[in-house]
Amino acid sequence: MLFIQSLISGILTGGVYALAGIGMSLVFGVMNISNFAHGDLMMLGMYLAYYAFTLLHIDPYLSLVMIIPVSFLFGFLLEKVFISRVIDHPHQNQILLTIGLGLIMSNTALLAFTSDPKILTTSYSSSAINTAGGLSISIPLLLSFLITILITTILYLFLLKSSTGMALRATSQNREAAQLMGINVAKMSAIAFGIGTALAATAGALIAPTYYIHPLAGHSFLLKSFTICVLGGLGSVVGAGVGGLIIGVVESMASTYISTDWKDVIVFVLFLAVLLLRPQGLFGKNGGQ
Amino acid sequence: MKQLIIVALLAALAAAIPSLLGENPYIIGLLISVLMMAALSSAWNIIGGFAGQYSFGHAAYFGAGAYTTMILISSWNVNPLAGMVAGIAIAAVIALITGSIVFGLRGHYFALASIAVAEIIRLSVLNFEFTGGAQGILLANVTLWGLDLNSKDPFYYGMLLLLVVTLAVTIWLRKSKTGYYLQAIREDQDAASSLGINLARYKNRSLLLSAALTSVAGSLYSVYIRFIDTSAVLDLRLSIEIILTAIIGGVGTLWGPVLGAILLVPLAEMLRSNVIGDSLVKLGIVSETSALGVFLSENLAHAHVLVYGIITVLCILYMPKGILGLFRRIK
Repeated sequence: MLFIQSLISGILTGGVYALAGIGMSLVFGVMNISNFAHGDLMMLGMYLAYYAFTLLHIDPYLSLVMIIPVSFLFGFLLEKVFISRVIDHPHQNQILLTIGLGLIMSNTALLAFTSDPKILTTSYSSSAINTAGGLSISIPLLLSFLITILITTILYLFLLKSSTGMALRATSQNREAAQLMGINVAKMSAIAFGIGTALAATAGALIAPTYYIHPLAGHSFLLKSFTICVLGGLGSVVGAGVGGLIIGVVESMASTYISTDWKDVIVFVLFLAVLLLRPQGLFGKNGGQ
Repeated sequence: MKQLIIVALLAALAAAIPSLLGENPYIIGLLISVLMMAALSSAWNIIGGFAGQYSFGHAAYFGAGAYTTMILISSWNVNPLAGMVAGIAIAAVIALITGSIVFGLRGHYFALASIAVAEIIRLSVLNFEFTGGAQGILLANVTLWGLDLNSKDPFYYGMLLLLVVTLAVTIWLRKSKTGYYLQAIREDQDAASSLGINLARYKNRSLLLSAALTSVAGSLYSVYIRFIDTSAVLDLRLSIEIILTAIIGGVGTLWGPVLGAILLVPLAEMLRSNVIGDSLVKLGIVSETSALGVFLSENLAHAHVLVYGIITVLCILYMPKGILGLFRRIK
């Protein structure tokens, strides 16, 4: 019973991780950039949801309607102003630039919102569905998971069917060839980074009701997102989705059977194990490049 | 050879500073920080600058030296120098494990894995009991051969010696076969590999060298401060500061990391001790009671990481080769 309980909560949390992972993977696939500001973008999403709730009294799940376009625009502009200028640079410069942007975001948040952790308490924050078997399913986690599925489905259809989606996938497969086919790859990069940012912020907003909101919270999510991407295969959107669920379950199982203190360590050990045994990830094609 | 002589001359000059200063613990403390960051950044430069493998987890090696030394001294009262040697051994083991996992891979993987290893070590130290957990380790006093190590001077000379050794290793490496191999790997891995260079072996060698020197700095620092915890010696922020120092000075150059440390460490110290905020008030630019004045005096001390972030972004966008690179272009 304990096993099923932690499996369920692992899958529910994993859904939100998957969202963040998909965002990072999309950016990696289209732009070939490891975005080290991803966790901080998630943190900004948490604060957006928090202030939408406390100042404007908008439900955190409802506030996504506002958070998604705002964060997309923010990401789009970040790419245009900063990231696009290093797209042909060595990858360590890209990493350092995004680290710098992340430091600016987290430390500005530290100045603006102070280091006191904030808690977003909604009327249903601690409510749960209790099933006949004695299982309890947290309502906010379940809602987050359902919204995640909705967003992932929309994104999947967008990538698969729309012309912009196809152009994004083409850029991801081969940047030069896509450019030769008349695709505006610079615009695709900005769109990919915008979507990546929107997904990170959405994941942050979705996790806000069940998590401490802190300016430096992005740090652990950044490493988690990387683990998810590498596990699924860098650049693979489907892989990141599956990777997110796996990480959620691993974390939940580790908390139940080992200890909460060690759950992050176990996730990172898993990360190294994947690098050692299957560097191309579960769904990656070109291993080790 | 010419460079070795310059290093020796500058070191002799630096060695004279404490006696010229007289009793000024604040300045000596600041100089120790500058020397330490210069040594750390130069050590990082061996793997990051020469082999082109950016390690984002060098705090792990610094922490390995610091924690090994402190645990050995506090539990078994071991000679600090023996603690330092043990620290090198632990750092070497961590480097070998990291290297064997990722040096077969390319691109982003080494950067990511180096962070993962550093985080595993940080969280483990935080969770274990023998490492002092979140409280860290505090020592009342440390003795070496019966001598009290309470004065700052021995650490000034210790850090200076470490910096000189690191620079000498760098100079030697640049002219050695290993050094040429590393530069070939940095410029083009495929070409280097096709010429018969064993990529993993040479990357591992330079990481080992870099890790060993970094752990010595950690040992010196821990005995100097006599207090360590994970946020001081194992944090990702430290790893990033080390890289940033090298970037600002000039990655892959001999003097770049030293120049970076001379510029960045005092800047961070000024922000931390709020010299800038105070002087803005004193010069009458900002009134002490105005909203801006209050905000500056309360917050500027916490803003040094923010300033680091801004410097990083500007540096990557406008002078990715650092100050020395800029200089070279002008020349």
